[in-house]
Amino acid sequence: MPLLEIKNLSVQFQTRHGIVNAVRDVNFSLEKGELLGIVGESGSGKSVGMLAVMGLLAGNGRITEGEIWFNGRNISPVAEEFKNDPKGYDRYMKQIRGKDLSMIFQDPMTYLNPVLKIGTQITEGIIKHEKCSKQEAKKRAIALMQQVGIPSAEERFSQYPFEFSGGMRQRIVIAIALSCNPKLIIADEPTTALDVTVQAQIIDLLKAIVKEQDTSIIMITHDLGVVAKMCNSVNIMYAGKVVEHGTIDDIFYRPQHPYTKGLLNSVKTHDSTKRQSLSSIPGTPPDLLKLNTGCAFMPRCREAMKICKDYLPEAASFGEEQYASCWHYCKEHADRIVSKQSERMMSEEVS
Amino acid sequence: MEKEKPVVSVRHLKKYFVANRHVFGATDYVKAIDDVSFDIMPGETVGLVGESGCGKSTLARTIIRIYEPGEGEIIYKNTDIAHLSNRKMRAYRNKMQMIFQDPYASLNPRLTVAEIIAEPMEIYNMYTKKEREEKVQELLEQVGLKPDHITRYPHEFSGGQRQRIGIARTLALDPDFIICDEPISALDVSIQAQIINLLEKIQDEKKLSYLFIAHDLTMVRHISHKIGVMYLGHLVEFGEAEEVYKNPLHPYTQALISAAPVADPVLSRTQERIKLEGEVPSPIHTPSGCPFSPRCPECRPECRIDPPVVANVNGHKVACYKYV
Repeated sequence: MPLLEIKNLSVQFQTRHGIVNAVRDVNFSLEKGELLGIVGESGSGKSVGMLAVMGLLAGNGRITEGEIWFNGRNISPVAEEFKNDPKGYDRYMKQIRGKDLSMIFQDPMTYLNPVLKIGTQITEGIIKHEKCSKQEAKKRAIALMQQVGIPSAEERFSQYPFEFSGGMRQRIVIAIALSCNPKLIIADEPTTALDVTVQAQIIDLLKAIVKEQDTSIIMITHDLGVVAKMCNSVNIMYAGKVVEHGTIDDIFYRPQHPYTKGLLNSVKTHDSTKRQSLSSIPGTPPDLLKLNTGCAFMPRCREAMKICKDYLPEAASFGEEQYASCWHYCKEHADRIVSKQSERMMSEEVS
Repeated sequence: MEKEKPVVSVRHLKKYFVANRHVFGATDYVKAIDDVSFDIMPGETVGLVGESGCGKSTLARTIIRIYEPGEGEIIYKNTDIAHLSNRKMRAYRNKMQMIFQDPYASLNPRLTVAEIIAEPMEIYNMYTKKEREEKVQELLEQVGLKPDHITRYPHEFSGGQRQRIGIARTLALDPDFIICDEPISALDVSIQAQIINLLEKIQDEKKLSYLFIAHDLTMVRHISHKIGVMYLGHLVEFGEAEEVYKNPLHPYTQALISAAPVADPVLSRTQERIKLEGEVPSPIHTPSGCPFSPRCPECRPECRIDPPVVANVNGHKVACYKYV
């Protein structure tokens, strides 16, 4: 049984300008010990989808449908169990959040409370979830700080966040996430705010954690380099949908979806000789308020066909794990739809 | 044939900020730039890389006199502009422009696109009103925006388009030197390549010189002819871009390049990372000797005493005792 399985997840936001479907019918699963990367541009729904799993959506957002199976239990607020019991949902999420399910946020500068000592912030979760004494929690916190590579941890235990550098703060955030031996850590761009040398250290640390503790990590990022270095498998998201999924070798060496290909090409600068222009994806990211009914990538796609505009493509699989949602790979089905449509138009003309 | 002269040449430039004045005697300084020298040739892009706080943005801003320079010279086409008065500086400001990092913060939300692009020309009393309008249209076309965008406001555009507006504005005064301060780091991956291509196209058309600041090493490598690596206010390495990447000389450059993630799983599995000890020291209490010496895997006793002089290894400059 997978550790996390998401089925038909959709998330909606009510905004001043209308309803935004930030996550649209997302399906994927994650095994124990797996390192999954979720790649997408801003607004692709990569963070929102994971916040929905954590039960941390903003007030105007809600899960409209879908199942989130975590550790054998459906923790979606629209699940049978919680549908008519929002308080029960909150209570249950409070039990597992920070314990089995924890999160690392992007910006370690704003994530830590500036007026609380580092020690207090690390032990908070331990005391709450593990029901242990303060001394015991302190011992564990110091061990955690040592594990994430903070020198003179005992001294640093009673310091404030401003006394730490950016990389050190991110280590503290990771220590907090690790404090109750979570089964799944969701890391939302954990290295984006950091310098490359520090980023490399944090990536090594996260990889070591997965190896030693049998934890799974979902890594949300827009940096394909980080994914290549860290993950086993990748979800590529565009406009709220997973357009392609595969192992990293699938995605990097045998990409199928035109968007994935475009993304990879636009960062391939290594072999390009000087002054050869980069191949970029034309156009701009989609406005989620004005999506067409078909494939959202169609307006920017070099390989777009007529059918892409009005009909959503289905997922076509390639090999064991990889699948991509593009009409190019389900041509038969496309032909059927097109012929049906032309039949209908013919009959309309006749009548 | 006469040898081409650099557009901008920086000589022993220093910029210290006062961090703390003690009641008796000493003052603490943040040594943001310490004795930096390099040249930028016409039509050339110089990339500056380094970690946050190493002084790359300060260096760029000091060169175009947003910050008052300390000691040293900034020679723009035969004139030392480092200590010109503001009034005299005005004649040079239009030739040196800047593209900012955050396209959301660098455009006035109350002006239309036409007003934003025309504003620098108005300030410099260039052209008649009619000519300015034509020029705005021409610039818009150059940066890949549509003519009917001119009456719109910045909030109606996406990040990439706003960055294009910012680029059109810097081009309005026909500069010959542009500072690009992380122009792509706030943009989505698929848009970054568009902006890089645009910058290269404009450079080829107008023979502009760029000083390109970034922390994304792969993009810097692509766009730059030469690369300078900064550490703690010092320029530790400077040379041809490919040369610096393929054959980095300074231990810090070697560590930086080995830490950069590569979008290739097989390569990144085999990539050997040089692990650095500790963190960047505070720029107030800089180490004596080589700034990198406390973290350097190849540190020698002499490194801790005096700062190294710049060695020239086949036109590739490096400040390290290994090469002296």
